[in-house]
Amino acid sequence: MAENTNKDADSKLIGLLGQFDDPESLVAACSQAREAGYKKMDAYSPFPVHGIDPAIGIKRTVLPLIVLGAALSAVVVGLGLQIYTNSSALDALAPFPGYPFKISGKPIFSIPANIPVTFEIIVLTSAITTFLGMWILNRLPMFANPLHRISRFKRVTNDKFFLCLEAKDEKFNRSASEDQLNKWGAVAIEEVRQDLTDNDLPKWIPTAAILGAICLLLPPAAIFSQWGQTNRHPRLHVVPDMDWQHKSKTQTMAVNLANGMDEVELMYADLRSARRPVDGAIAFGSLDTDSELNYGIKQDFAHTISSRKNMRASLSEDQEKPEVDAAAPAGEPTENMEQWVTTFPEGVEVTEDLLTRGQQRFNIYCAACHGYAGQGDGLVNQKALALAANGDATWTAARSLHDADVKGDAKNPVGRIYDTITNGRGNMGPYRAQIPVDDRWAIVAYVRALQETGLKSPSANTAGAGEAVADEAAGEEKAE
Amino acid sequence: MATTVDPHGLDNTYDDASKRTPLVLGGLDYQGVTETACGFWEAEKAPKIWWILLLMAMSLLGILGGLVNHLLMSGVGVWGNNNPAYWGWPIVNFVFWVGIGHAGTLISAILFLFRQNWRTSINRAAEAMTIFAVVCAGMFPGIHIGRVWVFYWLFPIPTEHLAMWPNFRSPLLWDVFAVSTYATVSLLFWYMGMVPDIATFRDRTKSRVGKFIYGLLSLGWTGSARNWHRYEIAYTLLAALATPLVLSVHTIVSFDFAVSQLPGWHTTIFPPYFVAGAIFSGFAMVVTLLVPARALFGLEKLITMRHLENMNKIIMATGLMVGTAYGIEFFIAWYSGVQVESYAFWNRAFGNYSWAYWIMISCNVVIPQLFWFKWCRTTTWFMVIVCIFVNIGMWFERFVITITSLCRDFLPSSWAYFTPTWVDIGMLVCSFGLFSTLFLLFCRFLPVIAMAEVKGIMPRDGHH
Repeated sequence: MAENTNKDADSKLIGLLGQFDDPESLVAACSQAREAGYKKMDAYSPFPVHGIDPAIGIKRTVLPLIVLGAALSAVVVGLGLQIYTNSSALDALAPFPGYPFKISGKPIFSIPANIPVTFEIIVLTSAITTFLGMWILNRLPMFANPLHRISRFKRVTNDKFFLCLEAKDEKFNRSASEDQLNKWGAVAIEEVRQDLTDNDLPKWIPTAAILGAICLLLPPAAIFSQWGQTNRHPRLHVVPDMDWQHKSKTQTMAVNLANGMDEVELMYADLRSARRPVDGAIAFGSLDTDSELNYGIKQDFAHTISSRKNMRASLSEDQEKPEVDAAAPAGEPTENMEQWVTTFPEGVEVTEDLLTRGQQRFNIYCAACHGYAGQGDGLVNQKALALAANGDATWTAARSLHDADVKGDAKNPVGRIYDTITNGRGNMGPYRAQIPVDDRWAIVAYVRALQETGLKSPSANTAGAGEAVADEAAGEEKAE
Repeated sequence: MATTVDPHGLDNTYDDASKRTPLVLGGLDYQGVTETACGFWEAEKAPKIWWILLLMAMSLLGILGGLVNHLLMSGVGVWGNNNPAYWGWPIVNFVFWVGIGHAGTLISAILFLFRQNWRTSINRAAEAMTIFAVVCAGMFPGIHIGRVWVFYWLFPIPTEHLAMWPNFRSPLLWDVFAVSTYATVSLLFWYMGMVPDIATFRDRTKSRVGKFIYGLLSLGWTGSARNWHRYEIAYTLLAALATPLVLSVHTIVSFDFAVSQLPGWHTTIFPPYFVAGAIFSGFAMVVTLLVPARALFGLEKLITMRHLENMNKIIMATGLMVGTAYGIEFFIAWYSGVQVESYAFWNRAFGNYSWAYWIMISCNVVIPQLFWFKWCRTTTWFMVIVCIFVNIGMWFERFVITITSLCRDFLPSSWAYFTPTWVDIGMLVCSFGLFSTLFLLFCRFLPVIAMAEVKGIMPRDGHH
């Protein structure tokens, strides 16, 4: 290791550079240098010179193997990406669920259709690996090369050829190497010196790097500080897309009024954003011609049913009202008990399936107030009564279906129970919007079955359809 | 540097079996090649004609910017695209430009693998042309997607907003991958090939800004033999990768059409036919650009008549392939016995778009036959005219394919006649402004000739 320190202590000798005027003499000089035993040397030329690799002893690069490795992994990545994103196979493992496109019954994953993208990913990966791998193996970019300080060396990118014997080589000797270069036909020889004075980084660079890193960390820090926080403001949309459109939506005020503008636009004269249906309009599929099935009212009384469905079917506005007014309390119109059907209408056949369906629907819609056994002890009812007792609420207790004035054909024929479910009664609200006609009749059947089991008191142990649920209700009561 | 030679003496189009035909004329040595290739870049002031061309190109580019803005603000309704021709001029222009963008990589990669040394003088300019054409091509589908600001939905990036992934079985998605891969690989190939020549610029420039920028771009290149060794292998690898890539790109572009079940599109001949057409139009564009460029930049000794003649021969050959494909399409339409398929092709030739069809046939099949005559192949002004016709023809080829099939779909009640709007026409014309601006800037600020490669193929007689 010949560490040559010159008279000039500020610089270090790196090597000797010999200039040649044509590629042939460069190759010849390289061969001679190699024969002379030099190992650490390099030739420089404006274009790749053929025959120079064996002359200097350059081994074949591993770059092709690296690229092969990259290409093979790209096959896995390419196919894996498509399997993952276009199927739900890896949903459990991956952070984002896949999205299987179901198109014309074609398979979710088919190799032929996935070849083009896989191929492109292979080419892209290999090309980038080739490009980056070549520069990294060549130790480039390197801007602080002492060779660039030699003005003669500028012609290496034009028309001159150079051989550099490096000082690190064991054979290197300042004067002997110069003689050898001369002997091999160098037309000019220069020392390559590394300037040691400017080896330090300029002082502003570390400061700037730290400041830059802090600035780069600010956005992720800001994002993480909001992680898991709630915010009452709507999300910031850089591009709002079609999230907010200048149009009226159903059940809303017209946009102009909502925005505080006076100008009436996109709106009808009644300030609605949609037209109401004309009187007597019937929605598709809602034409109810069978009054027994749809209203629980005998055909003879069908004419009393108002066309407006939200009117109680039981109210008869024309003839009967004046007659009963005197007998009934003011504001409480009486009803004509004759109108209710007393048997299940045609089309509703009381079977075990219907009762099971009715029980299930009853438990969903009715039991919350009336209790699972119909004793008026549902959880909502209990809670509301407790609140009402403290004066925190007003509540009319849900009726027990087993009360004497509720039970029986005289008080409540099936048509009337049906009407109660459909339109509500007293403080009970209507359920026609929630429960379809067939299910209402199923509930009616189930209610009649409950009543027939004849529960006498909430705690009574009974047989029949209500048994299990009654126990349950009793259990809940004890728990309270 | 050699003395100026009478350009009429620069004829290397005749083969002499006793010696290799020189590809660098005028007795240029290495220094001469460098100075010739750098001449235009080193000139203190660019010639007036360059400024005039740049001004025109940038005016068109400005109009293009305005048109794109108008499109983004108003929506794709400003184009003529409408039922049934939802793919109008934007797709025609896309295929036209991406086709032009095939010649560069073909010259750099395929001719490199075939050891066609004459490629070295023209490959750099052709690669640059490729990249600029791909930029123009990428613009059209880019703005065609409507909501440009969510362009990233095209790529497999997880987004909470969309909550779905691209459909990897769709040719349109393949196209996204093919074109973006092609653009990336072409750019890498172009830049890597340019590094030694940028190093030449770094060592020759006198301005401080130039020293900094070219110094940065040349990555500290020294021309070391070890570096050249890896560089050459990397170049061969990239060429070997780019060769199937360049063939795949227009194949996949043709899948956009061929995979859909529309008469006139659903044919297996599309991939080879599209690739041949792409090479055809790409070479025509290279000739159109290089003939004026070599005169303007004084490159006659490097881009010789032999180079131009070779390209013209390729144009003629690919023109014949395209012509054959037109014939085969008609044969298959008849041979298939499918009424709809036969009608689609009858309609192309004799329906209400027959004017476009016959423009295509005359420009692509008839006019290139002139290149059978040596005078036509070796007369610069004449070959430029032929090449311009070729590119007009190739634009009409894409127009005919896209529009005629769409306007005659399966439901006769929706048949229509496509009419472009002024925005359609403006965008096509102004896309040439984008292309020309990039090309003119390239000619002035980057190495137009691959100097290192040209020097490598110069005859080695030992003394210069």
